[in-house]
Amino acid sequence: MRKEIEKQLPEVKLIPEKWVDRYGDYLFNFTISRVNDPIMAQDLVSETFLAGLKSAHRFKGNSTERTWLISILKRKIIDYYRKINSNKGKAEVRMSYLTNSDQEGDWIEEKAADLRNPNVEDMIEQKELSDVLEECIACLPERYATIFVQKTIDNLETETICKEHNITASNLWVIIHRARVQLMECLNNKWHKNS
Amino acid sequence: MSRFFINCDQASILSTREQYGDLNPKEAFRHQLHRGHCIGCRSFHKNNQRFQRKLKSLKWVALTIAQKQSIKKCLVEAMTK
Repeated sequence: MRKEIEKQLPEVKLIPEKWVDRYGDYLFNFTISRVNDPIMAQDLVSETFLAGLKSAHRFKGNSTERTWLISILKRKIIDYYRKINSNKGKAEVRMSYLTNSDQEGDWIEEKAADLRNPNVEDMIEQKELSDVLEECIACLPERYATIFVQKTIDNLETETICKEHNITASNLWVIIHRARVQLMECLNNKWHKNS
Repeated sequence: MSRFFINCDQASILSTREQYGDLNPKEAFRHQLHRGHCIGCRSFHKNNQRFQRKLKSLKWVALTIAQKQSIKKCLVEAMTK
């Protein structure tokens, strides 16, 4: 029965030519919040697309293109950390305690982030919020997520997005509106209830 | 009359468009008029504004055009192999 249903489902086609424009920024944001290095993030995104291209024949269309690319990217990020940690010497945090003679005798704790500092607190909150929002965006239907990201994060012109997706401006606003409503609900459930 | 009064569905779309600065003065007026007598839409608009502030407070990063071109070039090379 299940096989029959699967046969009836439309085959999802991959369009690698549009990957960079459609998912580049989203994947870059996802990566940079995890590796905190823009150059490495760009490399990982690039590697993800190449890996996607290599394993395109294995894509069965059970998930959306974006979800599939994110799963590849997650593996790439794990590999990146494994690589770093495989060389123990490099993984150790090397901190020169007495680099400056003026600071001689300062407590090493002074070099660590002060969690009571409002800026640090804000940064942590921003990071957590950004992670939750990413999760919520991932739960949106692909079309909604792509259009929402293009309009809200990439700040693309309405006309450009309409042209790319072959929709009218009013359709675009309905999609963005629905995406926002779903995101607000998701944030309420995942963020406000936890905080 | 219908030129001025809109329903809640239309008002909620206008509220979303307002977050992106997409309303013309007529639409802004219609939306304001609707909010004047509709508690639900007033509350939705407040939440929408709060959500927008949150989105703006997040530091989104994007690939530069040059970075995108570089990745595209790698992809095209891999595709032609």
